[in-house]
Amino acid sequence: MNFETTIGEENISILHVEGKILGNAADVFRRKMNDQLQTGRDKLVVNLMNVPLIDSSALGAIVITLKSCQQSGGKLVLLSPQKAVREVLEVTQLNTVIEIYDTEEGACAAFA
Amino acid sequence: MAETILVVDDDLDILELLKMNLEPEGYNVRTANDGESAVQSAYMDPPDLILLDVMMPHKDGLQVIEELKDTEHTKNVPVILLTARGQTEDKVRGLDTGADDYITKPFDLREVTARVEAVLGRTRPIKYINPLMHAMGDAFSEEGVQQLAGHLQAAAAIQKKLLPEQAPSLEGFDMATLLQSSTSVSGDFYDFIPLSETQIGIVLGDVKGNGIPAALLMVMIRTALRLLCHEEDTPALILKRINDLVVRDTEADLFATMIYGILDLTKSTFTYSNGGHCYPFHQKNTKEMTLLKTGGMLIGAFEEATFACETCSLSPGDALLFYTDGITETAASNSAVSGENQGESTQSIQDDAFQDVIPMDMFYGGDRLAACLSKNAALPASALCEAVVDDLAVFSGSTTPHDDRALIIIKRDT
Repeated sequence: MNFETTIGEENISILHVEGKILGNAADVFRRKMNDQLQTGRDKLVVNLMNVPLIDSSALGAIVITLKSCQQSGGKLVLLSPQKAVREVLEVTQLNTVIEIYDTEEGACAAFA
Repeated sequence: MAETILVVDDDLDILELLKMNLEPEGYNVRTANDGESAVQSAYMDPPDLILLDVMMPHKDGLQVIEELKDTEHTKNVPVILLTARGQTEDKVRGLDTGADDYITKPFDLREVTARVEAVLGRTRPIKYINPLMHAMGDAFSEEGVQQLAGHLQAAAAIQKKLLPEQAPSLEGFDMATLLQSSTSVSGDFYDFIPLSETQIGIVLGDVKGNGIPAALLMVMIRTALRLLCHEEDTPALILKRINDLVVRDTEADLFATMIYGILDLTKSTFTYSNGGHCYPFHQKNTKEMTLLKTGGMLIGAFEEATFACETCSLSPGDALLFYTDGITETAASNSAVSGENQGESTQSIQDDAFQDVIPMDMFYGGDRLAACLSKNAALPASALCEAVVDDLAVFSGSTTPHDDRALIIIKRDT
């Protein structure tokens, strides 16, 4: 699993994740997101374009980060989840509380 | 859920400074500027941790600790003392009295944050265990945590054994269940709750998360269901109650997915609500198949979660199949995927053997399960259950599951 963070306009952080997020990898994933919050960046886009699969630990990481962002007045949105990931978000209905976008422009516009 | 820290100091500047430092870290901060109001505040609503100045007029920090330790519901609240440099005697007496750590004034704010996090990290597990300890009527000692951890693992295993092995026999219906446990403590569960002469509550779920908190959550949900489920309450209402209970009592990354429904034996209906769980199948005698999707979010993460119900009619020969993702996420064996190496090793693929690419073919998946159900729909429930198990074994090349698997099949007699 690889991570890369880019900072866009309006101080929006885009976390690009590559690889499946399963088991202990979810802790790293959570920490990477939390790193952004710690530096005051609570506008977070998580790019899941290159994530073929996530498990419940990864869902937990997303849920807890989403809540932290909301508490500080920020937001977490997801970008381009693949089919399997999208299905997990639908079944758990997390898609009703997390905005999902297909383009980076769309995701960034969510913070406007 | 944000943790609450009670900060106590008679110096208002220090109170303000600590509050400003701790709130951005995600803590709720309450303040008190003398010993008496600190004790009152802690009695009223015990915080998760207290930062306590030793030197205060009237009632000093050490007296505050003594009073808190004397009271049942505040005695386990961790305390970090704030002491002046050189007051070694205070530190020793403080630790003797039951303080968990101390910080010397003047302090570095980063040290405060680090020590708060360290103490909370140490005492957090106690919060999960405490309700159990209260139930046992036992005094609690922190040293016992490790030992208790082992006991709880064993308890979770026992709890799993307590799950009904046999489905109840019901007039007009044929039921079968399957529960296969992997070695790890994880949280698949199901239960059958008699509601009246003609109605039975059926629940199947999966507690996400790991270790003791997850095992305890499973115990908590099962117990709560047994207590909460009444014939007159809709499944949506029950899920909402369970959701609110779990939201209140656990961290946000600990949650469950579950389906709860009421089978009415005279009306031949199943009224259910699905809390973020993989969709059960309704295989109709007409060969048509529908998914039981109605419900709401996963359980226990969001206070604002809402749930809906749906009723499906079960015609003679109809089958309902409930399962956990341990079934659909069963990994393929080498041979099943590639079609090669037949007759060679049938050992199933370990997780780290396919780090890079994961074709979805690697997993059994909902489609295969649905196909297996359709193909074998004419079989009795228990034979249908076995057909699924056999299909999984062929697919994975192994009869040992790597994750918990649970399955319930309910068929209306023809």
